[in-house]
Amino acid sequence: MSPRAAWRLESLGFGEVYDYVAGKLDWMAAGLPTEGTNAMRPRAGEVARKDVPTCGLKEMLGSVRERVRRQGWDAVVVVNEERVVLGLLRSKELESDSDLLVEQAMRPGPSTFRTFVHIEEMAHFMVEHELESTPITTSDGRLVGLLLQMDAVSRVRPDE
Amino acid sequence: MNDHGTALMKCSTCDTPIDECAFCEEPDCRTPICYECLNVALGQALPQPHVHGG
Repeated sequence: MSPRAAWRLESLGFGEVYDYVAGKLDWMAAGLPTEGTNAMRPRAGEVARKDVPTCGLKEMLGSVRERVRRQGWDAVVVVNEERVVLGLLRSKELESDSDLLVEQAMRPGPSTFRTFVHIEEMAHFMVEHELESTPITTSDGRLVGLLLQMDAVSRVRPDE
Repeated sequence: MNDHGTALMKCSTCDTPIDECAFCEEPDCRTPICYECLNVALGQALPQPHVHGG
């Protein structure tokens, strides 16, 4: 919370109040819990699939493709040892030459979105832009999961 | 800007020249949006006031 809100809570008698310096958006981006009316609406981090396959830059595309397809996936997120997102291989990139390294075939530095974005906004943009999947990350770029368009659309309530 | 110093498209929200859509990253996107407008639309950032004020 903001320093002013923290001081105000202290003035109201709360004894254990902290100022989260990185801010509310960073708190939510880490997937930490929130309260209030908006907290009930599904968010990208909740809907994203956490079991998305990952691979490293120096792996061979052919073996990665075989592994992820065996797991029933058509996409794989390229991460480093800290699980920071470096690239993305969607179905189109997975079709590239088997002898390429992942770093040669991947879509580098893909757009990523934070966990707290409401799912109806993500669904709207993904349908409008015909995007099949997109990585969801924390503020420091670590992978939370892969959000699939079909999952996002299915979680939108009819009145939204 | 691209290698030739010219933008390929304009943000469909604010008309800022951009090279590719910040959401889908496709150069032929029909509804391209710039990074700033996208982050505001998704609630990832707050809209910034005009630099010229008033």
